[in-house]
Amino acid sequence: MRGIEAAGVCIPRLRISADAVADAWGRFSGTGIEEKAVPTADEDALTLGIAAAEAAMAEGGVDPRDVSLVSFATTTPPLEEEALAPRLVRALGLSESVSVRTHAQSTLSGAQALSACLSATSPALAVASDLPRGDPAGADHPFGAGAAAFLVTDSAAVTHLDSATYVDEFPGVRYRERGDDEVAGLGATAYERDAVRTSVIEAVNRLDADVSNVHAAAIHQPDTRTPTRATRGLPLDTEPLRRGTVVDRVGDAGAAGVPLGLLSGLASARGDDRTLAVFFGSGGGATAMLFEGSADAGLDDQLDRGERIAYPAYLRQRGYVGGAEVAGGGAHVSLPSWRRSLDQRYRLVAGTCPRCGSLAFPPEGVCPECHRNVDFDRVELPRVGRVRAVTVIGQGGAPPEFTDQQRRDGAYGVAIVELSTDDGSATLPAQLTDVDPETVAVGDEVRAVIRRIYEQEGIPRYGVKFTPTGT
Amino acid sequence: MTEAYVVGAGQSPFGSFPDESYRSLFETAFERALDSVDGGFERERIEEAFVGTLGVGGRQLGLSGPAVTEHVGLHGIPTTRVENACSASGFAFRNAVTAVRAGLADVVLAGGYEIMTDTGSDHTKWWLGVSGETEWERLSGTTFAGVYAQMASAHMDEYGTTAEDLSRVAVKNHRNGARNPNAQLGFECTLEDATSAPTVADPLTLYHCCPTTDGASAVLVASEEVAREVTDRPVRVAGMGASSDRVGLFQRGTLTGIPASRRAAERAYDEAGIEPGDVDFAEVHDCFAIAEIVAYEDLGFCERGEGGQLLRDGVTDPDGALPVNTSGGLKSKGHPIGATGTGQIVEAFEQLRGGAHTQVENPRYGLAHNVGGSGGSATVHVFERSAEGSA
Repeated sequence: MRGIEAAGVCIPRLRISADAVADAWGRFSGTGIEEKAVPTADEDALTLGIAAAEAAMAEGGVDPRDVSLVSFATTTPPLEEEALAPRLVRALGLSESVSVRTHAQSTLSGAQALSACLSATSPALAVASDLPRGDPAGADHPFGAGAAAFLVTDSAAVTHLDSATYVDEFPGVRYRERGDDEVAGLGATAYERDAVRTSVIEAVNRLDADVSNVHAAAIHQPDTRTPTRATRGLPLDTEPLRRGTVVDRVGDAGAAGVPLGLLSGLASARGDDRTLAVFFGSGGGATAMLFEGSADAGLDDQLDRGERIAYPAYLRQRGYVGGAEVAGGGAHVSLPSWRRSLDQRYRLVAGTCPRCGSLAFPPEGVCPECHRNVDFDRVELPRVGRVRAVTVIGQGGAPPEFTDQQRRDGAYGVAIVELSTDDGSATLPAQLTDVDPETVAVGDEVRAVIRRIYEQEGIPRYGVKFTPTGT
Repeated sequence: MTEAYVVGAGQSPFGSFPDESYRSLFETAFERALDSVDGGFERERIEEAFVGTLGVGGRQLGLSGPAVTEHVGLHGIPTTRVENACSASGFAFRNAVTAVRAGLADVVLAGGYEIMTDTGSDHTKWWLGVSGETEWERLSGTTFAGVYAQMASAHMDEYGTTAEDLSRVAVKNHRNGARNPNAQLGFECTLEDATSAPTVADPLTLYHCCPTTDGASAVLVASEEVAREVTDRPVRVAGMGASSDRVGLFQRGTLTGIPASRRAAERAYDEAGIEPGDVDFAEVHDCFAIAEIVAYEDLGFCERGEGGQLLRDGVTDPDGALPVNTSGGLKSKGHPIGATGTGQIVEAFEQLRGGAHTQVENPRYGLAHNVGGSGGSATVHVFERSAEGSA
């Protein structure tokens, strides 16, 4: 039966408590949210999505080259116009003939991505990744971040029983004006509650199934009260709703909110337990999906590993303050040059010298050992290696293209990392991320993650950074 | 092949000079070089020039050689700008010696210049990173301080070199620089000052890093015949070595040494027919404190990993067996990128003629060691004092 074969999740490591936001503003407008996840300066919808998708692929039994569809959902793409999924295709080493779709513009896009994959007939990857922004004085309070990814196949552990959709015009509940990156709501409370509840109930009623016995229900969750309000009248107890709610610990993750709630529900499910997911989108309408089975993407582990930050650090990390254009420009690496190095930056593709067997990274020019002009054999280096040299670049020590990142995220570590295969080893310089750089020493084991490296000519560039395997 | 000699050498003060231009600083260095020739020297005798500059600030990136040689009245002679990052004028000097030895010219000027202190900090940092490997090293977020800091971390891990060893380089070179009126940071510092200074790139503190500097230097290279004519005390270029390597530290197979320095030194010693133990003093490329420690090892002054011990034993102090950076080095005298290589030769010239500010006792052989970037290029030159009246 078609359904979810494996799932992956990525919650940024930083957290801020609702209390910290309340201390700053004298109030906190995110009912029931205790803390929320905070993306760091080098994370965005793409990097969170890649991390979740990598985890799902690692968990599932599908060769990356056999994935036939990638559906990426987000309301916060790094660029307003430009396909996002091809970057993920390159980063994960998927096939060049894969179909790609990007679903945006609505919190409902998570459902669209999942539906597209469930309707396909071959292995498909649905990714919902989001980090909404709003006016820090209020609309921003509940906004968190996260990503969920689902590997959808015909031999799934979690089977998809049914989906149903309801559509009607309900504008203004949650919208963003053209050219604005801050989400707003009209604030017409009764109307908004009615829009959500009507859409949710109508979608669920169109399911060809009884939901009274579901183990968990992940309902549109901008805060903890909405799932309860939106399902009033449906035969759902508080316990299933609780199992499908993660907004209290992640914050409002926009298009990734219900997908994360679904992962929470699936993680606690046993045997043929059923989990309901209902996505709402301002505009409006809702999609309901019913699944049977269980899957554990490790959401709880990630939720338990957060590191709390204070409100000023939060404002910096999210770029509300601190970011700036710097004089002098950046190191100019042309986009075509950068593109030629994508296999190295994403997949750590090195070259083996066919004459002497040495490893070259990047595999360009002559062999670094025998100095012969050879055609290197492609080899992917392992994604775990060791620090051979390391420094910490403090305030003021960064080249200008990293000034913005440093203002937001503080001092960063730069290591020379050795990656070893049976044939030898290669070294590369790379930034350290998700770690206090002062704690990293020569000899430490680190693993590769894909992050935003820098931006040039308005276009973000992504590649490998390293983080200690202990974190 | 004729021998090549240094018959004159001069430098501008190194420092920050908002009232000077790169042309006026070069003029000062050039006039001082002319004046240093015992019997005086007419600029018309100079047949060719090699000028080193990175071009920091982009003030005259194209034709940056003629821009200064024409300014000082070297009208019409062939001038070549040499760019090899911080070793630009070490290589300019190499070209000048090669031209003289090959008999292409009897007198060739080698020099260099850089203005680094008149741009905003973002702009300056932009330039400080341009000689790292751009696509990977620079875009991992490092400028040179970061790359040398990585080298230091690996050296400390492998050999037990300490932060205090790094500070000893600063203390020694500042003490020497304090006696050099041309030094940019001509003051002394203590071990405590150096170790407790703010961190620039861990483990390097501010005192473990050279400053950014404005300055120029010029050296007159002449054939044996001309040298004999114009001075009784020419300095012979006894050995010359140079080498290149991959631009990025991560590409070179070792993180604790600079192979290009090693190869350049071997060639220079071989040509001079001497051993490292014959060297009486050296000007080495101490852009960061770890670079001086690594240089001791690459130049054969000690075994691998023993650079720190050499400092602890005082061997490289002015009164030690092998004084290093009596000028103050890049650390205290300053590091105007394109002017550094020939600036080191100014000190070697003065030491071997007995007029240095921190004079070594009766030296015969002196060495100058100039590195580009983190080791993508290096020159080593060995100089020999002429026996009285021999040249």
